[in-house]
Amino acid sequence: MMRRTLAIALLAMPALAQSQPVMAQPIQVGAIEILSGPNAAYGVAIKGGLDLALDEINAKGILGGRKIQLTVEDSAANKDQAINAARKLIGRDKVVAIIGPTLSNEMFAVGPVTNERKIPTLGTSTTASGITEIGPYIFRTSLPESDVIPVTLKAAQARGVKTIALMYANDDAFSKSGFDVMKAAAEKAGLSILAIESFGSKDTDFSAQLTKIKSLKPDAIGLSALVEPVSGVLLQARSLGFGKETLFIGGNGSNSPKLGEIAGPAADGLIVGSPWFIGKKADNNEAFVAAYKAKYSRDPDQFAAQAYDAMKIMAGAIDRAGAAEPEKVRDALAKTDSSGVMGPFRFTEGRDPATAAGVVVLVMKAGKFAVLE
Amino acid sequence: MSIPPWLDDLLWTYQNLIHAMGVNGLLALSMYVVLAIGQLSLGQAAFMGLGAYSSALMTLKLKLPFFVVLPASVAAPVLVALLIGVPTLRLSGVYLAIATIGLGEVLRAVYLNVDVFGGALGLNGIPERAETWMIFGILAAGITGLWLVGRSGVGRAMEAMREDPTAAAVMGVNVPRYHLAALVTSAILAGLAGALSAHVSSFIGPNEYGFEPAVTILSFALLGGIGTPIAAVAGAWFLTLLPELMRDLPQVRLTLNGVIIVLAVLFLPRGLLGWRMGRKAA
Repeated sequence: MMRRTLAIALLAMPALAQSQPVMAQPIQVGAIEILSGPNAAYGVAIKGGLDLALDEINAKGILGGRKIQLTVEDSAANKDQAINAARKLIGRDKVVAIIGPTLSNEMFAVGPVTNERKIPTLGTSTTASGITEIGPYIFRTSLPESDVIPVTLKAAQARGVKTIALMYANDDAFSKSGFDVMKAAAEKAGLSILAIESFGSKDTDFSAQLTKIKSLKPDAIGLSALVEPVSGVLLQARSLGFGKETLFIGGNGSNSPKLGEIAGPAADGLIVGSPWFIGKKADNNEAFVAAYKAKYSRDPDQFAAQAYDAMKIMAGAIDRAGAAEPEKVRDALAKTDSSGVMGPFRFTEGRDPATAAGVVVLVMKAGKFAVLE
Repeated sequence: MSIPPWLDDLLWTYQNLIHAMGVNGLLALSMYVVLAIGQLSLGQAAFMGLGAYSSALMTLKLKLPFFVVLPASVAAPVLVALLIGVPTLRLSGVYLAIATIGLGEVLRAVYLNVDVFGGALGLNGIPERAETWMIFGILAAGITGLWLVGRSGVGRAMEAMREDPTAAAVMGVNVPRYHLAALVTSAILAGLAGALSAHVSSFIGPNEYGFEPAVTILSFALLGGIGTPIAAVAGAWFLTLLPELMRDLPQVRLTLNGVIIVLAVLFLPRGLLGWRMGRKAA
């Protein structure tokens, strides 16, 4: 019985497919994000932003009323799974474009695959240098650290900082890449670098590095690491007697509400540059924050905001391309000129974000970030 | 005869998975070789890293062709296996496991701190040189070779050592020599796996060869079974395919993955393929 039903269903399938008009077929777009494992928080926030934007896009429709069907695949922060996901999206789901993957390391593995198949790929959270050099089909909306750090350092210099010590975690790509940028930006800004100290992401004791730095009395300390070690450094620095006279400057890793939760008052006074801020005064941003809270009953973070903008940029590109064809979408994507919750947006010739105008410098006050006045 | 487009698409879609099955199969063999003589040596991930980094550097910096790079990629792992093999010959059980895990961590620190290895950023832009037939050719050769050795008198000695090293030594088996030979074979197989995987996935990083992959490789062999080389490879294939087969169940993927492994270990203590190697009566 079961078999017969199945056979009839199979026979009926081509007929069903034909009866649907071509125009009503959804446009396939894929996304690869970390949805499981210890780093799932990033991917879940990104998926939240993508889905929220998708609701708005599909309410109106693009290319004359067609909807976007977004397939989000899990990479579990694993290089091989990310490649498998990309190949599945391209080979089986026939996507016209891919958003993601989450980590720069994953992009270094996935980018060559999607680029070879000429599928436009849009990173929303990949900040390492060299990402878009993978090939002409690789784009990103996330500001590389090289655009954010100089803005932060300028704010520091405005407060009279002339000498700086740098500390970074040398065992993860994100922190190391952020440090390279911080060092180059500090040199360019004319700051004199008194010391460079490194540590491991899982270290808990930073007293040797901090004691050495304290004897050199720098005006500021630049930190490139994930939020947990940054919190550890700050807590230990305070107990070693670092006071208000030393300005702590964070990289993108410090740009997390968790900093206030872990380090508490020890984090007060730390400044960090951010491509987005929840309290940013702009109509579209306030609408986005309200809609995100209504849908997920929690605050959006920068990853959700970046993903929200990226989904709209991608949908806009497909609409302007006039057809759901990867080649045309790529060309349209390159000509993007839009405005989202992060601010105005265009791509450079090298497919990176063209402007850092949306960057705001935040300062930690009583465990929460506020805009630096 | 040409390949129909749908099959071509299907192969392209699962190409990376197919490659991973081949590479993980080689790693399972590398684990099997040491487990088969009763040694808990967990240096496979470290040897794989040496093969991957040395071959990637030969391709990127020295611009050598792949047919030179691939055989040369076993040099570094074999050298290190000989270096650590001699002093650790007297270790066994957990002591050997700890020493070999230590090797992986030492090498990770080297990759992170020596500029030529790219630090935490790893090496990217490695050209795709390894072909599917090379991976499976080497895997088939590995299985056949180990099977033939296992069926010979050497295999008998290996089995005796696994069950009782003291009794085996009394019976005239040169235990230290076998230990060293197994370690070097293990390093060769893992080194080749590393070189092949580096040349299919374009990017390698220092955290891919640490403690976690070492344990994953151990689980390949334990899940499959160590009675025959085929069993270990079957374990690797099972664990490689499992997360992809469950792609449609994103919420429970990791949990289900774990549950299946626990069930397999509980109910199949001798592995998925638990039989022993057939051997003619002497």
